[in-house]
Amino acid sequence: MTFNGIDGAVNEPGQLPWEIVVGYFAVAVVIVFIMGRKYGGLKALTTLDLVYIGIGGAFAMVWEFYIGSFIGRFLPSTPFVSVGFWGRLVIVFIVAGLVRKAGVGMLTLLIYDILGDLFHYGFGGEPVFMIYEALTYGLFVDLMIVFTQGKIFGIGYTPKEVDSPSSISTSRVNLLAVIEGAVVGALWAFPDPLFYDGFFGPFLYAYPVNWAKILFHIEAFLPGDIIMGIVGGILAYYIARAVGQ
Amino acid sequence: MVPWSFLYEDPLTQNIISWFLFFYGVALPIVIIIGVIGLKGFIEITRFEKGDTFLYKLNPVTKLVFGVIVMVVASTTIWWIGAILTLAILPLYLTLNNGVKKFLYVVLLVFSTIVGTAWAAAPYTPPSVLQLVFPDTSAYQTVWVWPSYFSFMGYEPTLTLQALIYGLQISFRVTATLVSALLLILTTTTSDIFRMFTKMKIPLPLTFSIMVGVRTVPKIFEILDTSVKMQLLRGLSYNKPRVFRVGYYFYAGLMAIVPAIVYLFRGAKTLAISADTRGFRAYPSRTSLVNLGFSRLDYIMFGIVLALIILDVLANMYGFGRTIPYEGL
Repeated sequence: MTFNGIDGAVNEPGQLPWEIVVGYFAVAVVIVFIMGRKYGGLKALTTLDLVYIGIGGAFAMVWEFYIGSFIGRFLPSTPFVSVGFWGRLVIVFIVAGLVRKAGVGMLTLLIYDILGDLFHYGFGGEPVFMIYEALTYGLFVDLMIVFTQGKIFGIGYTPKEVDSPSSISTSRVNLLAVIEGAVVGALWAFPDPLFYDGFFGPFLYAYPVNWAKILFHIEAFLPGDIIMGIVGGILAYYIARAVGQ
Repeated sequence: MVPWSFLYEDPLTQNIISWFLFFYGVALPIVIIIGVIGLKGFIEITRFEKGDTFLYKLNPVTKLVFGVIVMVVASTTIWWIGAILTLAILPLYLTLNNGVKKFLYVVLLVFSTIVGTAWAAAPYTPPSVLQLVFPDTSAYQTVWVWPSYFSFMGYEPTLTLQALIYGLQISFRVTATLVSALLLILTTTTSDIFRMFTKMKIPLPLTFSIMVGVRTVPKIFEILDTSVKMQLLRGLSYNKPRVFRVGYYFYAGLMAIVPAIVYLFRGAKTLAISADTRGFRAYPSRTSLVNLGFSRLDYIMFGIVLALIILDVLANMYGFGRTIPYEGL
């Protein structure tokens, strides 16, 4: 049965099984819940953190819909280049570097989504997209914050040897920023091809699943996202210092 | 056969005109956005300004509901309903404070969106998708044949009239939503939007961040604008030929981004301190002197919303439902 052209197709040939999609989001929600209990959830964020998140969400929105889409017009249409998406990645990383508390990634993506709807999209497809983006892109950033115990991109990291020259510690911190930025950047290359092309697309619009295309998109997104992840990590480090964290 | 077929049969004219068309689709929206709307224009159509016409008096919830319903109707009915909605909503901008200016900016934005979206879709749409809209393939009219190397950019070998129509149809879906979404932002104070979200039981920290975001959007354009002007004042593009001015403007814009981010984040502290000193989040819930009520105007608007819903149902019943396939988009 179809309504409004939305087929609600599940278990189509090649489509990501709905059990996996539901399973992923169920696990993600559990992780969020545990993180919230352990690190204080929304209450742990100070007013300043909330302001950073608001500004970051706004900047990501302006970048993706106004500046990035404008620059993108000059470039050929290829999955290897995505100026709008890269800008959002860098800005979210910078906000994560400024706040460095679990929950910042998800909340920034959430604000970005709501602002995108208010200014541009209208609330079509909600709340699916809000949940989807916060629990994929946002959650990856937050997991990195948890994993590095709040010292994401080397911000706030001090090497153990006290007498080490500061140049060594700076280069070590930069290395941390590069590695962590690259890891989260690489993770950001997966949700869209997997969840969108592999599930939401066929689910909503019944278009055939093409795994060659999905795998190609992952391969095409990876290099750019990793490079921008590194750039984002380093920028986050320096901007956090410039802002005075 | 089209009368101008000799133009694309000759490789020289084919190349020249193809590149002209390429830049037309890519550059015209940009020229409009940069040259005519400009950063000033964006500030104008993303910032609240005081006014006293009926849109300012409506409850924010009403405006939100209206925006959502327009979007639903535009995305579930045939394209020309979206086009009519766009045309019907546009004059509402004339009633706003500084209405003529806002109206002109929004008209330009809509026009550049139509050109941009149509050209972003038309040359790339494969025949398999077009067939879902126009099943009779024998009636397809070739308007232009691209040079073969255009396929590297993802272009289909030929541009048909049907592909152009399809591109136009898609664009009207975007414009109806665009013009209705901006109305809420333009006519509602930040604190009223805050109250609306509080009433909708959205957690206070989340609402606060959204409001900071709403306030920041026009500010971003303002800061970028100032920064670009400062760079030009300091001599960027001085004594250089006028032709390159757009390039320098663009360069200055790019150079302004990181300083703008740092500037905004540094200002964050002041905002946070001022919110904290006024007792923000001292209590779990918020109290307010102003009570957002619904007036007669709101009920009239709800009537219009209801009519839109009925229109949507009727359109779907009579076969004017969604006819644009989304395959591959």
